[in-house]
Amino acid sequence: MNYGPAEIMVTALAREIMSRDIVFHGLASPVPMTAMKLAKALGIEFTFINIAGGVDPNWGNPAVIGSTLSSNLYEGGVADYGLDEIFDLACTGRVDISMLSLVQISPRGEINMSFVGGEYDKPKVRLPGGAGSATLTPVTKKTLIWKTKQDIKSFVPEVAFCTAKADPFKQFKVITNLCTFVMENGLLVLESIHPYSNLAEVQANTGWEITQTDLPLTLAPSEEELALIEKVDPNRIRYIEF
Amino acid sequence: MGVGGMWGSDLIAQRPEFFQIMKSPFSDEEVVTVKALQPDWAIIHVQEADQYGNARIIGSDFQDILLSRAAKKTIITTEKLIETESFRQEPKLTSIPYFLVEAVVLAPEGAKPGICYPTYNSVDASGMAAYGQAIKEGKLDDYLARVTGWEGVK
Repeated sequence: MNYGPAEIMVTALAREIMSRDIVFHGLASPVPMTAMKLAKALGIEFTFINIAGGVDPNWGNPAVIGSTLSSNLYEGGVADYGLDEIFDLACTGRVDISMLSLVQISPRGEINMSFVGGEYDKPKVRLPGGAGSATLTPVTKKTLIWKTKQDIKSFVPEVAFCTAKADPFKQFKVITNLCTFVMENGLLVLESIHPYSNLAEVQANTGWEITQTDLPLTLAPSEEELALIEKVDPNRIRYIEF
Repeated sequence: MGVGGMWGSDLIAQRPEFFQIMKSPFSDEEVVTVKALQPDWAIIHVQEADQYGNARIIGSDFQDILLSRAAKKTIITTEKLIETESFRQEPKLTSIPYFLVEAVVLAPEGAKPGICYPTYNSVDASGMAAYGQAIKEGKLDDYLARVTGWEGVK
C-alpha cells in the first residue's frame, strides 16, 4: 500500500468538491488545504476560499508550514476576501462546502469545540470555541468534518457541550483516519471503511453502537491522485496532524 | 444584530448576555441576534502607516480592519513610517484611516515571533515557545528585554 490515512482523507475530501462549488477551510487545516489543492490539480473548477482571505491562491505553490498564518494561502489569488465577508457569504447560503474539525462529536452530529472536563466557566481544557463551527455549520450547504484521530474520547454518545449542531436538512459528512460517516435522517451512519481498517477497529473507536454490517470500502486514492498529492504537497505538510 | 448561524448551539443558552433569539421585525421568522463587541483597545500591527495613523495592511488582514471599527480606541504599530502623500495617491489601499487611531508606534519586526507579510513570512517556533514559557513563568519583562533591548519601565 503506497498511501496512508493522510492520503485517503485528502482524496476523500477532494472528491466531495464539485465544479462551481465555493469551498472554505479555516485555521491550521493541513489536510483540507492539501485536499483543495488536489482538487485544483485534478482540474475541478471551483472557488478556493480560506481564512487568510486569498481567493484561489496559487495552488502550485507548496506549503512549508501547517499553519494558515503564512502567505501560502494568499499569494497568487485573484482577490482578498476576508473571513468576515466569508461568514456573510455563508449566511446568504452561498458557501457550498466548509471543511471543519472538532474535538468531540455525537451520533446526532453535535459538535463540541468549547471545553472538555469541568464546567463551561471553569473547564479543565478550554477549546477554540464556536467561531467556525457554530456560525458556519447551520448555513453551509455541505459541512465536511475531518478528524485525523478517531477514538472513543472524540466519538462519544453525548458531547460535554454542543458548540454546533449539524442541520439534518443539509449535507454533513465526517471523514476520519478510519472511515467515513454521513448524516442520514439526523443520525450519523457509516458510509465506508478505509481499505486498511475494518468494522471491528471502527467500532472499537466509536463511542456508539454501529448497527450496519455490510459496508463498502472507501475508494483508495488512484495513482494519479497520489502523484498529484505529492506534487501539491512535496513538503508533506499533510502529515503534521498524524 | 442578526446573524445567520448559531442554530442548535448550546452557546445561545450559555451566554444570554451575548446571544438572544428574537422575532424578525420583517417577517414571522426567528433570528439569532448577537451583541456587538466593543473592545476598549485594539492594537494592530501594520506594514505601513503615516504619523497621523493612516495605516495600510499588505496581504492577509484577518479581522484587523473589523477590529479597528469595533474598538473604542486603536493603537497602530508599524513596520515602516511613510508619507501621508502615499495614502492620498492610493486611498483605496488605506485599511484604517487616521480618525480611528489613537497612537502610532514605529516597531520594525514588531509582529515577531509571529509573521508580517512579506518581510518575515514564517512563524518563529522557538520564539513562540520562549514567549509562551515567559508568560507561564511570569517573566514577560525579561523576555521583552531579551528580544527588544527594552530596559523596563523607569
